[in-house]
Amino acid sequence: MFQIKKVTEQSDDRSSAIFWPIKNVRFPETGWSVLLRGGPIIALLFLLIYFSLATPHFGTLSNLKNIAQQNAYLVILAIGQTLVITGAGIDLSVGAVMAVSASVMAVLATQELSILGMTIGPVNVWLAMLIGLVVGTIAGSLNGLVVAKGRIPDFVATLGMMEAARGAALLVTGGLPVPSHLTATELKGYLPEPIIWMGGSEIFGIPTGPLIAIATVIIGWIIMSQTGLGRAIFAVGGNKEAARVSGIKVDRIKIATYTIMGLMAAVAGIVLTGRMNSANALMATGVELKCIAAVVIGGTNLFGGEGTIIGTLIGAIIMGALGNGLNLLNVSAFWQRVIMGIVIIVVVVFDQWRRRRFGA
Amino acid sequence: MESSAFLLRAEAVDKNFPGVHALNKVDFDLKEGEVHVLLGENGAGKSTLMKVISGTLPKDEGKIFIHDQEVDLTSPHHARNLGIGMVYQELSLIQSLSVAENIFLGSFPKRSIGTLHWSRLYKEAHKLLDDFSVEIDPHQRISALGMAERQLVEITKALSINAKILLLDEPTSALSDEERGRLFDIIHQLQKRGVGIVYVSHRLDEVPQIAQRVSVLRDGKKIGTLPVEEADEETLIRMMVGRELKEHFPKEKVPLGREVLRVEGLTVKNKLNRLNLILHEGEILGIAGLMGAGRTELARALFGIDEIDSGTIFINGHAVKISSPWEAIELGLGYLTENRTDGLVPGLSVTTNIILASLKRLCTLGFLRRNTEKSFSEKYIRELNIHTAGLNQKLELLSGGNQQKVALAKWLCSHSKIMIFDEPTRGIDVGSKIEVFRLMNQLIKKGVGIIMISSELPEVMAMSDRILVMCRGSFSAEFQRGEATQEDLLRCAVIGGE
Repeated sequence: MFQIKKVTEQSDDRSSAIFWPIKNVRFPETGWSVLLRGGPIIALLFLLIYFSLATPHFGTLSNLKNIAQQNAYLVILAIGQTLVITGAGIDLSVGAVMAVSASVMAVLATQELSILGMTIGPVNVWLAMLIGLVVGTIAGSLNGLVVAKGRIPDFVATLGMMEAARGAALLVTGGLPVPSHLTATELKGYLPEPIIWMGGSEIFGIPTGPLIAIATVIIGWIIMSQTGLGRAIFAVGGNKEAARVSGIKVDRIKIATYTIMGLMAAVAGIVLTGRMNSANALMATGVELKCIAAVVIGGTNLFGGEGTIIGTLIGAIIMGALGNGLNLLNVSAFWQRVIMGIVIIVVVVFDQWRRRRFGA
Repeated sequence: MESSAFLLRAEAVDKNFPGVHALNKVDFDLKEGEVHVLLGENGAGKSTLMKVISGTLPKDEGKIFIHDQEVDLTSPHHARNLGIGMVYQELSLIQSLSVAENIFLGSFPKRSIGTLHWSRLYKEAHKLLDDFSVEIDPHQRISALGMAERQLVEITKALSINAKILLLDEPTSALSDEERGRLFDIIHQLQKRGVGIVYVSHRLDEVPQIAQRVSVLRDGKKIGTLPVEEADEETLIRMMVGRELKEHFPKEKVPLGREVLRVEGLTVKNKLNRLNLILHEGEILGIAGLMGAGRTELARALFGIDEIDSGTIFINGHAVKISSPWEAIELGLGYLTENRTDGLVPGLSVTTNIILASLKRLCTLGFLRRNTEKSFSEKYIRELNIHTAGLNQKLELLSGGNQQKVALAKWLCSHSKIMIFDEPTRGIDVGSKIEVFRLMNQLIKKGVGIIMISSELPEVMAMSDRILVMCRGSFSAEFQRGEATQEDLLRCAVIGGE
């Protein structure tokens, strides 16, 4: 290479001189630049202001509660997805896992089953919920195991799970909504009270679904910023090889993110089932893409290594507010989807531009 | 120099990279039907010169003549059109395509309506391969071929454009002796047809077998060109080294402690051959050798990244099994990777990178102790004099030297007792280099044992207590501090054991 020359104390100063200017390259602190650095929150503020002006009903407390109630499940899913995507994965099976865990829970809570000749009969509702959570967690950890140990792309593994779990949900429910009037006569077509409470009740005026969602946001935030697991997820997503060489058990981290995702999907399943008073095998179709959109709008890097929980929360709220606002403006459902697609792209293009311009 | 026998002539070619004068006014020429071997240590400028001639890199200054016509090479494509074929050190074939498709990549024969003319493609590929009596089925996928066959396909590809000038960059580094013989046969055939060949190598034993002339580069300068009759090994080695050792290495001698690491019969198939080594507390063990000799493979095997086929590793006298990096770290090993980007996460903060190998120790019940994290980070930034705008500065915004210091801090933070430094000073400025050496001194004073892998002979000689020389997967020599000259080291690295 090159020859080592005589070293004086100056070389230190020089290396620092090479470095320091990088730090000083900053956009001047005008009001706009401060605002622009905020990221997706700008898009959200813009939407909120626009809809409040365009339709008087949008800003009312009952409507805001409604938005929160309707999108609680999306927030929960998106939090799990943020962990997975930050670890350079992606989970396409969340909607199907949600459906299968909710279906298992609803069937156990409302129907008599005969297994190995024994008749088990609607089981305790809390036990049913617990089993639903376990089903989701197992599905998630299976995803993780296949990705980490089977060494196949995340996309393929979870695509397989998406089909398989949907099929399992159909098997469990027999293709019928649960509860249906055929099977749960003594409940008169209603799910047990605690399940409905999870999705559609209020505590001190705050709807329960959003409360659960906020709890997952807090848990997600703690994992990402306060635990060793969080650091490891960022490292694995940012540079898998470096993480491995630094003694991080990459496979375990992958499995952990997918397992948490599975659990979150089951929680989201309970919340959605409670709100709709019904579980069925085809519920939550397409939510995997919706929650990925929320994560991406929130500024998480689809290739891993970068992501924030708060960004994802904002992304999910943007998706929810947009759907609700367009409804109130009487935009047809067909146009809503077109607009939704455009908004996703515009927000992410803007965010990428903002990052290049101002640094993350 | 008006003789038209020169296929290629380069005059005073100059090339600068940031911090490195890669080519310093190099003259070079090539005659018709000649094999001109280009020799030099790692980083002497051989590959850079090849890249300039093949149009991959633009030259800063100088002139290049082809058939006495001055040309300004703008791209590899341009060079190809002028009849310059290049075979890269890392083969550039597409594994999933067939031999024929690879040969004609970019210049597929087409039918008049614009679709591919498959039958002609295979016929022409067959003809080209036959020309060199190479028995490879053009329908076969590249992934099904061995290294030598791939090399031949690559050469055929380079010649498919009727190349009169062929540049071969270390073509035999991955070949067995028998495969090498086949390659040389082909080279002799090409010579008879008047093709001029530039052959980059660092295997001196090949020189008398194929070369007509030899040029030696050192530190970006051409040292000289000799006809092969005058180019005996001693002369060539003297030309290749000759770098002066100066007093900028702050080596401090530390009394050696007990043995911390012993390796017996370490073997990784086709890479490492029954290696034995011992490392003591407070010792710097230098490992010299040329690129591809297996130095990095040794580090990777010790650190559990690559699987070991046989052999035993003893740490503090106990036989251990290391099958993954986390086990290695638990046993007190640290590994500063050859390539910084293999060991650091560029998108994360300086702090996170520093504590990356110590996560377990910094967690209570899975929760990161943020205050401890911060104090560790501050401590190492201060001790290693890392220039960063703050604890949460993204790593990728730091200069190369500072990134290297972060990589070092990571292993200091994990309290490694045995450190493997693979090219610790590559690509960092002189000031940072000295700081890295000072840090090594501090480490050995604390009783850490260091294995230092480096291509810079002066560095190895100045910092090591003992030097092992590697050649083709084996240790070819061992020297105590001050015992060996650069010539000795290079001879053992190039030729092998005595």
